[in-house]
Amino acid sequence: MSRLQVKRRTVAGWMGLLVGALLFSALISCHGDVPQRLLRVGLSEEPRTLNIWLASDANSRKILAQVYQPLYTRHPETLKLIPWLAAQDPVYDEENISYTIKLRHAKWADGSDFTADDVVFTGKIIEAFKIPRYSSKWRAIKKIETPDDHTVIFYLKKPTAVFLSRALTAPMVSRKEWETVAQEAKKQEKPLRSLQNYEISNPMGTGPFVVKDYKGGAYLHMVKNPHFFGSGNTIGGHLLGPYIDGILFKFYGTSDVAVLALKKGNIDMFWWGLQPGYLDDLQKTTDVQVFHNQKSALYYMGFNLRKPPFDDVVLRQAIATIIDKEFIISRILQGYGTVLHSVVPPGNTFWHNPQVPHYGDGLSHDQRLKLAYDMLKAAGYSWAEPPVDANDKVVKGRELRLPNGEPMQRFTILTPPADYDPRRAFAGLMIQEWLRDMGMPAFARPMAFSALLQQVKGKRDFDAFILGYGKLNLDPDYVGTFFYSKQDKERGWNMSGYRNKAFDKLRNKQRGEMDQDKRKELLWEMQRILLEDVPYIPLYNPNVLEAARMDRFSGWVEKVGGIGNIWSYCVVRPLEG
Amino acid sequence: MEIRKFILRRLVEIAIIFFVIMTILFVLFRIAPGDPVARMVDPMWTPEEVEHVMSQLGLDQPIWTQYLYYVKNFFTGNFGVSFHYGEPVENIIWNRLPNTILLFTTSTILAALAGVFFGKIAAWRKGRKSDTWMTISALVCHTLFVPWFALMLVWILGYKVGWFPLNGIISPEVWVNENTNFLVKALDVIHHMLLPLMTLFVVQVGSYLLLMRSSMLGTLKEDYIVTARAKGLTEKVVRNHHAARNAALPVITSIGLSLAFSINGGALTETVFTWPGIGKELVFAVGNNDYPLAQACFLLIAGVVLTANLIVDVLYAYLDPRIRY
Repeated sequence: MSRLQVKRRTVAGWMGLLVGALLFSALISCHGDVPQRLLRVGLSEEPRTLNIWLASDANSRKILAQVYQPLYTRHPETLKLIPWLAAQDPVYDEENISYTIKLRHAKWADGSDFTADDVVFTGKIIEAFKIPRYSSKWRAIKKIETPDDHTVIFYLKKPTAVFLSRALTAPMVSRKEWETVAQEAKKQEKPLRSLQNYEISNPMGTGPFVVKDYKGGAYLHMVKNPHFFGSGNTIGGHLLGPYIDGILFKFYGTSDVAVLALKKGNIDMFWWGLQPGYLDDLQKTTDVQVFHNQKSALYYMGFNLRKPPFDDVVLRQAIATIIDKEFIISRILQGYGTVLHSVVPPGNTFWHNPQVPHYGDGLSHDQRLKLAYDMLKAAGYSWAEPPVDANDKVVKGRELRLPNGEPMQRFTILTPPADYDPRRAFAGLMIQEWLRDMGMPAFARPMAFSALLQQVKGKRDFDAFILGYGKLNLDPDYVGTFFYSKQDKERGWNMSGYRNKAFDKLRNKQRGEMDQDKRKELLWEMQRILLEDVPYIPLYNPNVLEAARMDRFSGWVEKVGGIGNIWSYCVVRPLEG
Repeated sequence: MEIRKFILRRLVEIAIIFFVIMTILFVLFRIAPGDPVARMVDPMWTPEEVEHVMSQLGLDQPIWTQYLYYVKNFFTGNFGVSFHYGEPVENIIWNRLPNTILLFTTSTILAALAGVFFGKIAAWRKGRKSDTWMTISALVCHTLFVPWFALMLVWILGYKVGWFPLNGIISPEVWVNENTNFLVKALDVIHHMLLPLMTLFVVQVGSYLLLMRSSMLGTLKEDYIVTARAKGLTEKVVRNHHAARNAALPVITSIGLSLAFSINGGALTETVFTWPGIGKELVFAVGNNDYPLAQACFLLIAGVVLTANLIVDVLYAYLDPRIRY
């Protein structure tokens, strides 16, 4: 074969390859046209399960929230509880300690009626299987009566303030879907596990969407539920659709790739909080809008009050004074967050007590150190080299000594690792440096998240830690839970080991107080006590940063927690043309 | 007969080693820091609810009882149910494994073939420009930081140029379209596979090239190469039939083990490309103390690696006439 022939063959080969590639791309792209009314949403990971009783990961819950619906939900703007599957507000009977609830004439996705019997069945399943997340809230119920198909009466064992916000916001399931499964599960050695392990590919709810197709690892396709009770009704100030035919959930392993997909137009919205670092780039991208909204979150530093030296309230108050929360917001959160002074975020306006002590608020670094120095000195602390010299100048303090004269021992501040949450990891480092300026031998130690939880909640063997709750219930009953003496046990929520009888009394009282205003007074007092005793130092509440394309859909509903919510999916509309 | 005895002896050894690995895995996961239910629970669960879940998962049992269940379940073919997925772990593994094998085994084979080919040429042309370039390129490929390189390819070829999809194994838009036929779906998978395949190929090819080159350089000094040349055989025959075949022996071991480990996937590559493989699941299971899933993944890897070792040993005897069992 001559050289010329070889060359010709090579050129022909390359040409063939090129033509093949072009045909290949054309063939795929003509089948990949996106229907105009199909919303494409990116998720950070795929849902782990579609079984409502097992779902504990964020993405499963995002999907299932479009399917299974509660009796009451939060108004997107006022955050008040409003009827959802219920037709009206509940009627409380003080004498019988009961709530009467009228139900909407809603239908399940298969067209069958949603009735009071389904509500009773949901209650029974929660009780029989002791379903975590719900069972402790439904334990308040003595009995449930159903005078007719659309009326339910809940009789409570005793007045329970959180009953509406905790029990009646649980998702309702259909007897038809679950009865046989539940009966089979009850016969097993591990009934709850059997129920949770039941594989479900097409969950049936009353929500705006139903799962049409789920290809593990690739996508989940939901289509509009033609029987959705909200369609055409105005609820929570919104005329509900859905106005889209469906939602195509696509999964992205990293935010980097998801952001590229959003910019390229492969998805219409990325349903995951973005780090501030992405914002500049996204804001410059045509057709992409960035949303930032408050979260109902609490990120804090906690102490182990069970052992010295953090059993001393003055030391905790001094540390609270030293920590510069504004700095954390401006530098670590890059301005996308709010300083927290109380354990109830300020966005939760009704329950937040703004009058709690604001340690070191508005002071400079030196002023904070001086103030903390004065507090500690007055309480009997001393230094090998004090952080404030004879000329009242702030210097680097060395070797803080406790009131008994012994040097403060090295202590660790446990934080999640930077790859899990860079903000908490860096906040830990900053706090370490500020405390060292005061002569405290602080060491921030990032630790794998589950190991950290085991150390703090399980073994309760630690000095201090930085943790957070990213999605707090809007009812602040958790204030009691986190600091109640009886929760100071292995796996209990009182991780700091805080014990205060006056606080416990208030906690119990507010749980049974049915008058909202009186309950608010009690919760304000609880917040005040906590911020006096500072078992936790509230640090910050980050904003949730999200991005969506505006060239195909409009009408996103912004609320606490962001634009990824059932309201948005019920009202978002395709752009004309 | 000898080879049969050898295989039989090795099979017994493998069974013992496998049992030891099984036990070590069990112990390692139990002593590793972390709480298996910590990541499953909602912040508002009560300690009683957590305890209830622990008992349902059998984690309230003494460690010996858990171990006996583990061994018994293994020998009855029951690998347990994932704590987080609520699905039998064998289902999860069988759903993910083909994706991993498709991508990682293909890339390993392609990289090994290319590495052996270019390594052979580089050694043959030792000291020349082509050798220098190939060696430097191989070193660069070998030291590439995979997530960075993968993201660069995604950014340039997926986003900027737009030749390839950014991630995933399929285009959901193509698959939800009811008119899409099988051919288009198959092409769609191939289209999605190209970018991760390219990444893995580039990252892997360097090490095979360097290994082959170094092995070949050693072989070229052997007497039988001189003899082959003295016999008047052509350079091509000496290189390909006499030198390369012998030099490939250590490479074969490496390829065998790499193929075995390829079922392990690569968590970083799978994460960047959202490739639904087993590597990501393995990392998830370990990070979240999902004992059944993590144990089953590791046992699978152990089983495949031990088997691959056996195959490589047998293959040696076939490739090298000097080795007899």
